Amino acid sequence: MEGTTTGTIERRSFLKTAAVGAAAIGAVGTAFTGVARATSPQGHLSGDQDLHLLRRATFGLTPASVARIRQIGRERWLDEQLRPSSIGDRACEDLVDRLPQLRISMRDKYETQDFDWNVMFALGQATIIRAAWSQRQLFEVMVDFWSNHLNVTNPGDHGWYNRHDYDRTVIRKHALGKFEDMLIASAKHPAMLHYLNNVSSTKDNPNENYGRELLELHTVGVDGGYTEEHMRQSALIMTGWTIDWDTGLFRYDGSDHYRGPVEVLGFSRANDSGPGGQDLALDYLRYLARHRQTAEHLATKLARRFVGDEPPSGLVDALADTYQANGTAIAPVLRKLFRSTAFRSSIGEKVRRPYEDVIATLRALRYKADAHGTGGIQGLYWVCESLGQAPLAWSPPDGYPDTAADWRSAGGTLDRWNTHMSLAAHWWPSEIRRPKLESYLPKRLPATYGDLVQDVAKELLFVKLPGEQRDAICGFFDRGAGSPLHDDDAIVTWRLSHLVSLVLDTPAHLLR
Amino acid sequence: MSTDETAITPCGCPDYERGMTRRSFLKRAGAAGLVAGIAHETAFSQLAFGAGPFTGDVLVVLSLRGGFDGLQAIVPAADPDYATWRPGVGIPANALWQLDATFGMHPAMVDLQPFWTDETFGAVHAVGMSEPNRSHFAAMEEMERAAPGSGLRTGWIDRLLGTRLHESEFQGVQMGSSLAASAFLGQTPELAMWSIDSFGLSAAYDDDELARWDTALRGLNDGAPGMLSEPALAALGALSVAAQITNAGTYLPANGAVYPDTDLGHALTDVARLIKADVGLEVAAVDYGDWDMHVDMGDVDGGWMVDHLSELSGALAAFATDMGTAGMAGVTLVSLTEFGRRIQENGSGGTDHGHGQVVLMMGGGVKGGQVHGQWPGLAEEDLVDGDLAATTDYRSILAEVLERRCGASAADVAGVFPDLGGDRPDVVQQLP
Repeated sequence: MEGTTTGTIERRSFLKTAAVGAAAIGAVGTAFTGVARATSPQGHLSGDQDLHLLRRATFGLTPASVARIRQIGRERWLDEQLRPSSIGDRACEDLVDRLPQLRISMRDKYETQDFDWNVMFALGQATIIRAAWSQRQLFEVMVDFWSNHLNVTNPGDHGWYNRHDYDRTVIRKHALGKFEDMLIASAKHPAMLHYLNNVSSTKDNPNENYGRELLELHTVGVDGGYTEEHMRQSALIMTGWTIDWDTGLFRYDGSDHYRGPVEVLGFSRANDSGPGGQDLALDYLRYLARHRQTAEHLATKLARRFVGDEPPSGLVDALADTYQANGTAIAPVLRKLFRSTAFRSSIGEKVRRPYEDVIATLRALRYKADAHGTGGIQGLYWVCESLGQAPLAWSPPDGYPDTAADWRSAGGTLDRWNTHMSLAAHWWPSEIRRPKLESYLPKRLPATYGDLVQDVAKELLFVKLPGEQRDAICGFFDRGAGSPLHDDDAIVTWRLSHLVSLVLDTPAHLLR
Repeated sequence: MSTDETAITPCGCPDYERGMTRRSFLKRAGAAGLVAGIAHETAFSQLAFGAGPFTGDVLVVLSLRGGFDGLQAIVPAADPDYATWRPGVGIPANALWQLDATFGMHPAMVDLQPFWTDETFGAVHAVGMSEPNRSHFAAMEEMERAAPGSGLRTGWIDRLLGTRLHESEFQGVQMGSSLAASAFLGQTPELAMWSIDSFGLSAAYDDDELARWDTALRGLNDGAPGMLSEPALAALGALSVAAQITNAGTYLPANGAVYPDTDLGHALTDVARLIKADVGLEVAAVDYGDWDMHVDMGDVDGGWMVDHLSELSGALAAFATDMGTAGMAGVTLVSLTEFGRRIQENGSGGTDHGHGQVVLMMGGGVKGGQVHGQWPGLAEEDLVDGDLAATTDYRSILAEVLERRCGASAADVAGVFPDLGGDRPDVVQQLP
């Protein structure tokens, strides 16, 4: 209903643009070239299930990742990825080690009281390094997922001394472990305590921010059936969970804890002692983590992330069952998800968000990090930022949205085209290292333009483009698919970066 | 934020930095995904039955980010408590350009005096949100959400544009940034651009090259899923319009207007260009930040505040001059800031986060030459937690502009600003 209206207006808008522009300026630009003949999303990607799994469970295909899944098969590849410690990742961690700021403890950083943003900025860079170059790709995808689910904006108000520790001891520690443990770790962490104001929530002046988001975002979800009174009680249960202002670390203060009967969604306790408030809250968090509504909420979000913007309810139910049957363990849910028919039949139904586009572009072009230092990584951070999706940086507590409709934007599309061109041509950032463009070409050039376009698409994206797209790219070079190719033609010389950029502008790269 | 920055500057107000850099161009529609298969003919026939084109004022929203200290701009010099609270940074009464019995204008705003005199520039004092919020970031979000007490997660400009037909890619434009303010959050598409001239394909160095890319990108999207092709075709449509404006040659402001050579000056220049090009602009948003003057704001003779007020005034005066009287008859410009500042100056020659703010307004329909609003006073007992009280809800100003200048119905306004109530400050004339 809503969607129909939107679709109509969108089409209407580009119909009218030409007329408006023409009326204003006296020149006609045809904004609409004809009735869209929508190829099914699957038509832009092959039906290859190995590649489908890689597109969803990693930040983008690389020759090495494709070789690996071909070698060991999807089941073993998934087993391997679900045990990230079994995968050697020294090269990536060496890159992260270029950011020594991240090694300072929360307590030591807090003692400096310098409030500088260096550690938070380093964390943003480390996140990009790992997304692009870690071998533990599914783990990194899940780190991204949970960082958004339990969002603490980086950089943000109070994160200067604690946000990097939150990344390590809350998100990374539990990303493939048990949600219950991650939820408790987040509730106790100074980053979350500050971010949602639980530090200042006391029995006399309860701040409801954390108590509300705990229900709405972290656990049962907005449709979880709780009432306003439940929400207030939720905040009261969490009173006393604060920080020690001398050290900046977690502290439970029983004297600030509200006492009296509490009840939230069937969790009810007498709550008659101050010191008992810490265990009360732990019980409450465990109760919420195991709640059926939490199971369905998390199952929906995981299915939205990995399967489709409107995940089938049968899949959500099955994943929620798995979650509950395994004591909130995450890996069994992912295994169930990736083995489902809903997943298998969802090829091409997710759109890459800007951050995913940048990282997938780096991987498709086989970029390497800076030879020294992190100047190029910093540049990549600003590229993502200017596209509207710097890692970890979403401001509201609900995390970056995860559907195509959320990201649909004309300006954003233009920015992506320009980013593809910039990375294809290696304009900026200059410090990160791109292989020679010629390395994307077959050793022996094919006879025709059409074959060349397909060779490059195959090399970078592992796809065969639909004929119309192949022809559109050939047309850019004033040729047809059957035109003979010569080794001094623009397409393989000074316009080779254009060819690469256009291949990155195809749906095959914009979808995941 | 420019893309060549390599470090985040430490700042006493990290949330301010964040607010400035995290504004997002995202669509956050909670509704279902796109429906890709609507026939072209259907859309076209519906258009034929739609309402006529928008004929109200172009609304220009100028966000003075960082917390604009309106008490230094439209100064309550005759309020005996002003000088007491601000013995150091306060503007002395004899330095002001007298506006009425209570207020004077900072001398650095001299460029705006003619517009005050001809009553196309005015101010509303003691404006604010219904609930004080002294966090830059949270206040900006809340101000641009503009729906206190509701669960809405869209922005007010998005809801406004949602009441109208979307007939142009340029209907809602954030100028001077590639990311739109959170007031645009929601389903209605907007354009965000650093500038008209930079809104382009970086590889398209001339018209032939642009045509080459345009054709190829259309081809790649021919048959692509709607969720990709729709924004792509919208971008290409806007691109060709932007290119036509750019190709019309170097822009020469009218009436001898000289914009300051600053980001603000450039952004307002481009807003004027879009209005004059008649590309369907209805709401333009422009940011002018760096008002977070906790330390060393300077005094009446110079410094940070003087520099900022001078640039602001010069840019606004140039915009109004360039647009001319006839042009400004169809424009209403409103400034907003996330909060005013603490009435008592701090120990660092600055002022801290406060509450009540001043709103500046320009336009042919503005009841200018007056300081509107109910002045609550600056005596201790009149303050809200040490801050100027807010006696006018900023949304009532915007609502009145929408109703009297922009053709909005009561139902439209109720959707844009839910639960606002009926009070209006009477600051603009009814569009004839």
